[in-house]
Amino acid sequence: MKTDKIIEIKNLCYEYTEDDEVPVLSDFNLSVKRGSFTVILGHNGSGKSTLAKLMNGLFKPSSGTVEIDGMLTSDDEYEIEIKRRVGLVFQNPDNQIISSIVEEDVAFGPENLGFAPDEIRKRVDAALKAVNMYEFRKSAPHNLSGGQKQRVAIAGILSMTPECIVLDEPTAMLDPQGRKEVLSALINLNKEKNITIVLITHFMEEAQFADRVLVMSNGRITGDGAPNEIFSQTDLLKEAGLSIPQTTELLSILKENGISVENGIISIDECAKEILKFLN
Amino acid sequence: MISDITFGQYFPSNSVIHRLDPRIKFLLLIFIIVFIFIGNMYGIGLSLLFSIVIMILSKIPLKVYLKNLKVILPIIIFTGLINMLYVKTGTILVDWWKITITVDGIYKAIFMAVRIALLIIISSTLTYTTTPNDLTDAIERLCKPLKFIGLGTVVHMLTMMMTIALRFIPTLIEETQKIMNAQKARGADIESGGLISRVKALVPILIPLIILSVRRAYDLAEAMECRCYNGGVGKQRMKQLHLRFSDFFALFVCLIWGGLIILIKIFLG
Amino acid sequence: MPILKTENLTYTYAPATPFKHTAVNNISFSVEKGEITGIIGHTGSGKSTLLQLLNGLLKPTDGKVYFNGNDIWQDPKKIGLYRFKIGLVFQYPEYQLFEETVKEDIAYGPKNMKLSPEEIEQRVNEAVSIVGLKEHLLEKSPFDLSGGEKRRAAIAGIMAMKPEIIVFDEPTAGLDPIGRETVFEAIKKYRRDNDATIIIVSHSMEDMASICDKIIVLNDGNVVMHDSVAEVFKNADKLKKIGLNVPIVTDVLLTLKEMGADISVEHFTVRSAADFLISKIKGGAHLD
Repeated sequence: MKTDKIIEIKNLCYEYTEDDEVPVLSDFNLSVKRGSFTVILGHNGSGKSTLAKLMNGLFKPSSGTVEIDGMLTSDDEYEIEIKRRVGLVFQNPDNQIISSIVEEDVAFGPENLGFAPDEIRKRVDAALKAVNMYEFRKSAPHNLSGGQKQRVAIAGILSMTPECIVLDEPTAMLDPQGRKEVLSALINLNKEKNITIVLITHFMEEAQFADRVLVMSNGRITGDGAPNEIFSQTDLLKEAGLSIPQTTELLSILKENGISVENGIISIDECAKEILKFLN
Repeated sequence: MISDITFGQYFPSNSVIHRLDPRIKFLLLIFIIVFIFIGNMYGIGLSLLFSIVIMILSKIPLKVYLKNLKVILPIIIFTGLINMLYVKTGTILVDWWKITITVDGIYKAIFMAVRIALLIIISSTLTYTTTPNDLTDAIERLCKPLKFIGLGTVVHMLTMMMTIALRFIPTLIEETQKIMNAQKARGADIESGGLISRVKALVPILIPLIILSVRRAYDLAEAMECRCYNGGVGKQRMKQLHLRFSDFFALFVCLIWGGLIILIKIFLG
Repeated sequence: MPILKTENLTYTYAPATPFKHTAVNNISFSVEKGEITGIIGHTGSGKSTLLQLLNGLLKPTDGKVYFNGNDIWQDPKKIGLYRFKIGLVFQYPEYQLFEETVKEDIAYGPKNMKLSPEEIEQRVNEAVSIVGLKEHLLEKSPFDLSGGEKRRAAIAGIMAMKPEIIVFDEPTAGLDPIGRETVFEAIKKYRRDNDATIIIVSHSMEDMASICDKIIVLNDGNVVMHDSVAEVFKNADKLKKIGLNVPIVTDVLLTLKEMGADISVEHFTVRSAADFLISKIKGGAHLD
């Protein structure tokens, strides 16, 4: 079954241990549209990693439901199919690459799914090409840069032909170059292959590429909207313990000083264009 | 340095040896080792020749082999010396104090040294020319018959463990180096002192290493689960192995060599 | 006399092999006492090798490192002493925390210095107060701390040795704004209290512009610039060519200039750029 909403979370509660008084997530509702690019922002410990693991059934809800294309993650029958449809990429690329050769690692998912060898080969090649890592297919992971390793990890998910990829701070351990590589790979997958992307991050600049930005704080969604809607509310970001991009901060200060600029802008070009209106 | 050890490493190339079926390569390794041991002093010459041909065919730089031999040189020399001093037959060359060196002793020493060196060369050729994954794959496939006595999961588990171990050895080496640096920056002294103080100095290195590895194991398990791993049930392989003419040819060559070794042993014993 | 000086400093990995690689190539610079110096360079520019050379973890292939005028490798047996004087905080606290309690872990360095128990106790408390770790965390296992707390515990572990220079490798990577602020405050406080010299490596040009006095730019193992923040960030083209950047706010000004605005681009913090733009816009409006 394919629905408009790929992920549908209803009245979700999740607690780590039973004696924990406050659930990490409580009465949580969220739906993710098929084909969308959603960015979730939140400080360390805001519950965003837990949310990621709930989205593909790695964690099961304590109460409430998580549905993937109408399949409940709590239903054991759909266990494998849900993980195939919603792939999860983690922060540390080193801890998710299993094989010592890139292409054999990318083959791991489809091998587990029991596809025919020729089909696996096709999927592996396509996945590596999609993240621009095909030429490194015979390399050993430990000889790759962080950004390359993370793209291999994404290819490892892609080879299972997922509907949606959830990424839990995939750029946190990378240098600026690696961050750029991973981000452009994700944008490409979203635009070209129409794969739904849920990107959890604490790099604010990455939010500018999203259709929708969610702000999480203490297990709740405190902000939900288009990037410029969210970024025009600097108080909201500060309350959630997030840093404010310099572009947004600059525009807010100008606004506070009576210059009526639009202030929800993240990209450098648009920020400059906005200021230029007032300079002439 | 740890990184000087080339044993167990893979060197990409497209040589005849690289292209052999890993299963055949693995079986031939065992075959060759057995016959190097069966062979006598005349046979070892033939084995040496045979190994040199294999080394050339593998297209692995001679330097790599030599570097590897250098690491175990002490063992080779030690074994040689012991044999040299142990053999008392034959023409005596030196007889001084309790040391007797005979011509037979020298022959025996060279024989033993060459035998060990060949052993290392042959087994490293296998790892140099076969990717770790092919190797584990070959072992898994060769162990397939064990499925019929209910050991299928055991074989799968062991090969999975090998794959993961091979993947993480370089990472672990790198990590150990970083931890050592971090502790040295806080004045840890690893190089000097008696045995006890050295063992004690290892604690600040081992604990972070273990904690990080446990953390990694946990992450890795989750990542595997996310990629639909369920203990190898219904698992397919991307890479299919097919025996080709060259594999049978290699087998044929090895059998001839083995036969010659036996003949030499019988007629030149 | 500069507190730290390098002279033709060179380091080659795996010399005499085909994998030979010169990571640091004939570098000479000096750092004055009390300065905060930033080191920037893309991954592979030789930054981490340079850091390890500066505090004696690596022995130079060629050239010298001088601390207060003394060659730190004069007597290799005494290199340990220099490691106490030039502290190095690595990026990942996970690589160093190992003791049963946070407190004992912070005391590990001072213990290796063979200080008296009273002195150790006092130094640990001082370091803890500088990094702002809460009292109740001290008896906890370091592995139970949050990411930000671990980072601060690791920094305290170096500060408790009271080095005259502390070198930080990416001290704020992965931290949220509050965590980042706390770490920078701790660094500044340590410098004030101990009249110390600070060297920071970071990928964040914004952080560098706000905290550093001087910046060293590395590329392919060479120092390509070593100057004040303003002088370095004036060279946007040059920096971009070697895979680096200027602070985002400076980039906004540069873009404005490209779009034809007649403005100065020499503002490297949001505050200074905002003040400039406000006066420019309001001043301009006034003239109308």
